[in-house]
Amino acid sequence: MSQIFHEIEKKIITSLQNIPIQTPEKLEKSTNLSPDQIRRGIEWLKLKDLAIVNESQTSNISLGKNGLESFHKGLPERRLLELLKNESKNLQDLQKELGSVFGPAMGLARKNNWVDTDDDKVILKNYLTELPGEKTLKQIGENKIPKNEVDVDDLSSILKRPNFVVEDIVKIKEISLTENAKSIEVTNDLSGAIDVESKVPGIFVARTHPLKDTIDEIREIFVTLGFTEIIGEFTQPSFWNFDALFTPQDHPARELQDTFYLDGIAAKKIGTAEQIRKISESHKKNWRYYWDINEARKMVLRTHTTCVTIKHLAETKPDESRVFSLGRVFRNEKVSYKHLVEFNQIEGVVVGKNATLRDLMGIQKEFYRRIGITKIKFWPTFFPYTEPSLQTMVYNDRLGKWVELFGMGIFRPEVTKPLGITKPVLAWGGGIERIAMLKYGLDDVREFYNNNLGWLRSVTKCQ
Amino acid sequence: MPVVELSYTRLQKLLGKISKKQISENLPFLGLDIESEDNDKVRIEYSPNRPDYSTDLGIILGLQGLFGIKVGAIKLNIKKSNEYVLSVKPSVSKIRPFVTGIVAKNGRIDDDMIKQLMAMQEDLHFGIGRKRKKSSIGIHDLDKISFPLTYTTSNKDHKFIPLHSDKELSISQILETTDIGKEYGSIIKNSTQVPVILDSKKQTVSFPPIINAAVTTVTTKTRNLFVEVTGINKNDAEDMLSIVATILQTAGFTLISTKISGAKNTSPKLEPRKISVNSALINQMLGTNLTNSQIITSLKKSRLDAILKGKNIICTIPSYRFDIFGSMDLVEEVALGYGIQNLEPILSPSQTLGQTNSISVKLKSLSLIMVGLGYTEALNSSLTSKKVLYEMTNREPINMISVLDSKSQEHTILRDSIIPELLENLSRNIHASYPQKIFETGNVFSKYNPIKETTSFAVISAHQDASFTEIKSILQSALKTGFNLEIETKTFSHPTFEEGRTASISVNDKTIGVIGEINSKTIENYKIRVPVVGFEISLSGLLFD
Repeated sequence: MSQIFHEIEKKIITSLQNIPIQTPEKLEKSTNLSPDQIRRGIEWLKLKDLAIVNESQTSNISLGKNGLESFHKGLPERRLLELLKNESKNLQDLQKELGSVFGPAMGLARKNNWVDTDDDKVILKNYLTELPGEKTLKQIGENKIPKNEVDVDDLSSILKRPNFVVEDIVKIKEISLTENAKSIEVTNDLSGAIDVESKVPGIFVARTHPLKDTIDEIREIFVTLGFTEIIGEFTQPSFWNFDALFTPQDHPARELQDTFYLDGIAAKKIGTAEQIRKISESHKKNWRYYWDINEARKMVLRTHTTCVTIKHLAETKPDESRVFSLGRVFRNEKVSYKHLVEFNQIEGVVVGKNATLRDLMGIQKEFYRRIGITKIKFWPTFFPYTEPSLQTMVYNDRLGKWVELFGMGIFRPEVTKPLGITKPVLAWGGGIERIAMLKYGLDDVREFYNNNLGWLRSVTKCQ
Repeated sequence: MPVVELSYTRLQKLLGKISKKQISENLPFLGLDIESEDNDKVRIEYSPNRPDYSTDLGIILGLQGLFGIKVGAIKLNIKKSNEYVLSVKPSVSKIRPFVTGIVAKNGRIDDDMIKQLMAMQEDLHFGIGRKRKKSSIGIHDLDKISFPLTYTTSNKDHKFIPLHSDKELSISQILETTDIGKEYGSIIKNSTQVPVILDSKKQTVSFPPIINAAVTTVTTKTRNLFVEVTGINKNDAEDMLSIVATILQTAGFTLISTKISGAKNTSPKLEPRKISVNSALINQMLGTNLTNSQIITSLKKSRLDAILKGKNIICTIPSYRFDIFGSMDLVEEVALGYGIQNLEPILSPSQTLGQTNSISVKLKSLSLIMVGLGYTEALNSSLTSKKVLYEMTNREPINMISVLDSKSQEHTILRDSIIPELLENLSRNIHASYPQKIFETGNVFSKYNPIKETTSFAVISAHQDASFTEIKSILQSALKTGFNLEIETKTFSHPTFEEGRTASISVNDKTIGVIGEINSKTIENYKIRVPVVGFEISLSGLLFD
């Protein structure tokens, strides 16, 4: 195997082939490389399985301030014994002589029966040529030495004294070559080749938002199915969001607890006089209540994009048309892992004299096929403005159950007639986040709006 | 959507030889969604337009049709009688003008039945009764009542023992101290007089729409019932009564008429309606080729009656199916009876050519340009809070647009700018690596006749060396490369941006936005630790209308 090595790698391998085990510090000397170059080189070789890094730790000891003083002047108890070597002395004299170390020295000497006292006199009883700890003190001196080189017992007699012995733990790294590396021939090649197999740092890709990607994908599918995109406003008079869609003014969906009403804001112009008259008549006749125009003026954040579609159809009254709208809708809900107050909806219609419920089902089936969902079925359901009404159920393999996706139906004559729309209108709609959640494997819909850079920078674009 | 709890064993007992699996597989084809299942119990959601599905008895009628056990319309057999009379005093006309009722005899009531009746009553009150405002029901033990009855008004000192109580309370006490009185009292609050139903011994039967008297409480010993419905609209009251009557007949009761008169009230007829429908319409809407006899069979499976008369099918609709308005509703009934699963989807070629909206095209181009410049797209809500939108950015909340009664404190104000939310995004990402460069395009709102919605484009860059020059270069390049627009910047002041490092942006002498370094106060408010620069411009009026 021919491998390409960096200059740093070459120097380290060569050095280790000569001296098999080295610390990074030794390698710095043997290779003349900087500490940083050595660190990087070792890292690269480790990744390539050519170097072994053995980490261990040892403890070094040296003398502290008091330890050094004792090394130069002798231990306090040694100095006491020396003072008494020739003659007994007075307590006060000794105290003067030894100062602050007199107390501890005296205590130790009495405890070990080296001295005795007679009134004020201190008398030497036993003179030792080597006191405990003196051997260690001499051995360390002004150096730093490995802890395991000294006599543990002897060390223990001075280890606990304040500022006597300083211990520091040192991590030792020893670098050696793996068997493979020992026989590698590091040649000087001049081809300018680099190691193309090594790992490189990751960089973040700037990107469009994953939910926007899904929205774009869905938009494109409908455009290719012959639909034209229409765009409408988020804020709508209740008239277009509810009244025009045959939702009576006392319907629970219109209550504050489900719909966001804009505080103190009412629309002055909501529709043509004819539209208003005909819609109010349809409500009065079918729902039997007093229809209040002021209720219809109240501005809401649209609860579906259907209001955009119906307004468009009322304006254009087409005989043949395919349009869709895509955008934010709002519901006054508690935010949770499955509910947002604001989410995206796709909603489309087919207008045509030959449009049938089976066509509506066919468009759904084709849409789902294009986004990769093939296991679907249709169930009846209810919407105030469509009849018949269906919902699509799709099988979610990950959850192992059927989940509801788009709702659909044919606009009721009570919706179309007052607005002068004469041809059947097939309509469907549904939330986009649900589809995006299936696509990105998310269980929490809030993730789309958290703008968590960790997620945005890591999620795979095409799934 | 309302929910009803069913028991499979009870359904099977009432349906005959149908397996649990068959039942659970077919419930969705009645438009019923299974919410949860727990051994024998199954909780289903039903659509608010089918209040007859608020009891298992109503659902059984539907299942019988689907399985072909019993088909055709349910005919109410109401025995005529002069025994049960209810007269209405004119005084009720300004408060709750209408009452209707029916007697149901010789039925058996077990605990399950009571539970189903209570649940049905609750659902009817909530849904078609519009929280009892439109109409409300009282179900009484017939044998505790002495006819004739009077529907009249009384003052609030009137006393009786209400349901679930053992002592007499005045109307005022009921309204002020009981939960039910507090919840529904507002319906009749403004009047000094309240509606009551009294029997011939002056005993109180009911105080609609609040509570029944305890004396008429229905128990498992009750065999005979009196049902009354009061309301503000005669037809709505009778609609509600028709559901209860249908359910009680299905449960085995014999229905007997109640004679009602006075103050524009009349005895309920509960008679079926007839709607004529053409097979051509049905086949055209469904995309089918059903024969008349297939259509009639399907309608019967949906528990309606139908006969062929000339070219038309005359459909008989029982009174409890008041969700049926006209022929399109019958198209759905045919589809349900025929079976949605039997309709094969078809993909006809499109007669029209599709087109993306030009606004979407431009916004998409802008996104791609920003990605090319190294910016990642963010998405925030249009609804945010006063804190994020104004307080954190030191802006005055003038002309703030708020929504009423939001359930979420973070979503109460419509944004008039995107930058505050992008800064909020940065503050949540302080542990992610820098530079952080994000942008967003989206709607912003301002008060104008009544509301003006425009599309805004905001960009921010946060890192140790972020500078005015950097962000101006981004703006300049994005608009030049994307739309061949030249920008100019002029000294400006803005509470979110650093004085002396802020400019207004204009194109062709028209101001379109603001650019600059975010000031240290704002950065501190958001607890961001690096310099931030950014701009926001309005795209409406620049790239499109």
